[in-house]
Amino acid sequence: MSDLQSLVSELHGAIERKQFDVANDLLSRSKRALLLQNALIPTSSTPPQLVVLARQVLELGALASIRQTDAQLFTRYYQQLQPFYDLERHAGLPGQSSSEVDFSTSQRSKITGLYLLLLLSMGDSANFHTVLEGLVEEASLKGGRVEDDACIKYPVELERNLMEGSYDKVWRETKSERVPSEDFGLFSNVLVGTIRNEIAGCSEKAYPSLPISNAKNLLFLESEGAVIEFAKQRGWILRDGRIYFPVEPEATARSEKDILLASGTVIENALGYARELETIV
Amino acid sequence: MPAERRSLRSNNKSDTSSSANGEKANSNSQSSGAKDKAPTTRAAANKAKSAPTKKDAKGASNGSMKEDDQSHTNGSKSTENGVNGSEDVEMGEDTAGAPTSSSNTSKDRKSNEKMTVVVPPTKGSRSSGKDKEDVTMEGVEDGDVENTEPEVDPATKAIQDIKSNFTLLERAVAHFDPRFTLRVLRSISSMRKHLTPEVLAEVIVETYSASSSTASFLLEALGQTNAFENAPASSQMEVDSDKKPIPKETLAEVDVYLSILVQIYLFDQREIQKGVQFSTDLIERLRALNRRTLDSLAARVYFYYSLFFEQVAPLPPSPAAAVTTIRQPLLAALRTAVLRKDVDTQATVMTLLLRNYLSTSHISQADLLISHNPFPVAASNNQIARYMFYLGRIRAIQLQYTEAHSHLIGATRKSPASQVARGFYQASHKLLVVVELLMGDIPDRAVFRQPALERAMHPYLLLSQAVSVADLDGFLNIVNTHSETFRKDGTYTLILRLRQNVIKTGIRMMSLSYSRISLRDICLRLGLDSEESAEYIVAKAIRDGVIEATLDHEHGFMKSKEVGDIYATREPGEAFHERIRACLALHDESVKAMRFPMNQHRLELKSAQEARERERELAKEIQEGDMDDEDAGGDFDAI
Repeated sequence: MSDLQSLVSELHGAIERKQFDVANDLLSRSKRALLLQNALIPTSSTPPQLVVLARQVLELGALASIRQTDAQLFTRYYQQLQPFYDLERHAGLPGQSSSEVDFSTSQRSKITGLYLLLLLSMGDSANFHTVLEGLVEEASLKGGRVEDDACIKYPVELERNLMEGSYDKVWRETKSERVPSEDFGLFSNVLVGTIRNEIAGCSEKAYPSLPISNAKNLLFLESEGAVIEFAKQRGWILRDGRIYFPVEPEATARSEKDILLASGTVIENALGYARELETIV
Repeated sequence: MPAERRSLRSNNKSDTSSSANGEKANSNSQSSGAKDKAPTTRAAANKAKSAPTKKDAKGASNGSMKEDDQSHTNGSKSTENGVNGSEDVEMGEDTAGAPTSSSNTSKDRKSNEKMTVVVPPTKGSRSSGKDKEDVTMEGVEDGDVENTEPEVDPATKAIQDIKSNFTLLERAVAHFDPRFTLRVLRSISSMRKHLTPEVLAEVIVETYSASSSTASFLLEALGQTNAFENAPASSQMEVDSDKKPIPKETLAEVDVYLSILVQIYLFDQREIQKGVQFSTDLIERLRALNRRTLDSLAARVYFYYSLFFEQVAPLPPSPAAAVTTIRQPLLAALRTAVLRKDVDTQATVMTLLLRNYLSTSHISQADLLISHNPFPVAASNNQIARYMFYLGRIRAIQLQYTEAHSHLIGATRKSPASQVARGFYQASHKLLVVVELLMGDIPDRAVFRQPALERAMHPYLLLSQAVSVADLDGFLNIVNTHSETFRKDGTYTLILRLRQNVIKTGIRMMSLSYSRISLRDICLRLGLDSEESAEYIVAKAIRDGVIEATLDHEHGFMKSKEVGDIYATREPGEAFHERIRACLALHDESVKAMRFPMNQHRLELKSAQEARERERELAKEIQEGDMDDEDAGGDFDAI
């Protein structure tokens, strides 16, 4: 117990100093210590202090992994933390007697917010909403809203703006002063990349052509050189200081193939009906 | 479609009340007649699977009741509750799982909110209105005998009923026919009101010997442990003279049936702790038994088992809720049920587990359960409806709206139209409306006009109006004012996602009405923050295929493209195909749902043989005829 305590504080320091090799080593040691005490999954018989320690170890692990940009590892830590957070959720409900476990040190909202952001940056909106649903339910039980928590609010608003298409808002949100903590900033680059691609995709469909200078603003790029670079990547045609988006040769060529295909299905359907009718009659 | 059908029926209610009454009487007398022979018509009509028939019967009685006694609404409700029994309690309110019959207050609260129109009292109301005997008479089973002698003590009556159900159970075992068991289960509803510890104890004393462990197990739960001593002398004598006063061994089915009655009694008396204990022990016992005739009874036992646990603190939304403790046993039961091909229990336990997971918002677990377990196709209608509802909910949360939509459509169509399951009907409709809105469709106005839904759906009506006119401010207003309701219905998060749909609809409307509009105007009309946002949003809408338009960045306007003729595309053909397929599937399903009595074909074999001979002759004639035709045709050609 006491050496676990010292391990945790060492771990804390290592992560603060960004010595991730040391931190990883400490993490595996402390996790083994937890396993030996059978505290990786909290049970009703686990002593409260140990629960707190175990949670701290896992939370630090999660933070370390996110700073090393290891999404898989982070997800694993997040899953392992769930039973601990379930305890917290339970205790947080109105009318529950306070349990002995100390939740004041819990970084639940931060970790959850990071997880949501991770899901968002991976484009996994199904899971994003699944997690969010649980949070909303919990918040409404307490009579509050999910948005009351700054760490949760951030990814939630980002998602809403992304879905809506207000990319300029997303762009503004990812700037440093709006981000709730530096860990969240790690995702900013990913997100900007995501929205840039989204915008590019939209522009291809929406504009026939676009001046390069305007495209710079639209795509949130630094210089016109970057625009040209980006345009080449996407295969756009640059002419007279304008970007021309390649038009899909759909209008004429497809229609003939379409008719062929359509008549095929129509015949197939009609035959199907005939067969079915025969079995009925 | 179903909406129209339903509303039609409700209109008809009052007109056809007299004829409906007649029908009812008919079927009753039939049932008594059919009781002794192999019941065909009546039983067929009663079979839970043939839901439409059942619904009709109920609907008809609803109608007939409407006029004569309003005052008995409450009573009727509690009786009626039982008709589908347990099922509807659960269907009633997704979150609360509020028991119905026992706590009239909660039911009333619910009914205030949900039973919108003049509550048409149901089936039971006639019975409770006049005399109690009718209840049992109505309660499907017993025929005219009781009908002729109206004034019997309800307790004795209940005892008689329970006993007559024993014979039905025995017959179910002997004939290996689940229909009898289902009949017994249906009768529980009518009996529910008359269950008292005395009645149950008396039945138990008369059924078991004093030394029977089952008897003491049941009596203990009832708090009537000394029932054998108190029993009338005659039975006591028997007990004394012979250790086994009952000639034959009592069937396991009878044991379980009595246990269910005890469960219901405990539940109605709100003796939750006792019920929890009893049910847990009961499940233990049940697991040892492996009889196919027990399946539907076992399913019911599990249902009450889970219902009891839902009432135990800590209550569901908390992740440490008592319900989580029964996941293990339920999963074990599911495993066993699958191995034994026990469809009833399998279906019930699966829906219970889903409900369990969703109640603590463990959505990913519920999703995993679904992906690893196929739902039995042969499950009863109610279970399928429930399963589809949960599935639709999960899919909606996961943004798979198309899938969610089809499941919810299934749930609303399969949900019983009767009074009892109205909560379920409403809940699934609410979800359906939200999902439709999320898909970009505007729900049919007729949905909101149904009497069963009108008031409960009011906030949703306002919501869809706001979405359809693309009034962003109005939309946010409605969400704020009704947020309590939406939260309670569990649709709040889904509704929050609707904001982008409102915007999309707005853009679409503008693109349809203007051939060219400046981004500034779009921004103003939709109440967006900046022109920049508007530009991105419109661009996204174009990419997503919401509108056909182009943007001009330099001049800052949106130019709409000409809308093509939809009839030049494949769309109508596809819609047509879809509908034909649905009709064909309906036909197939109805053929499958028909019941073909066993060994009936032997009787028909002879006539079939004759028919075949006739056919052969016919074929011969046709052949000859063909020749003629050909000849004729040849002649024709020649000419």
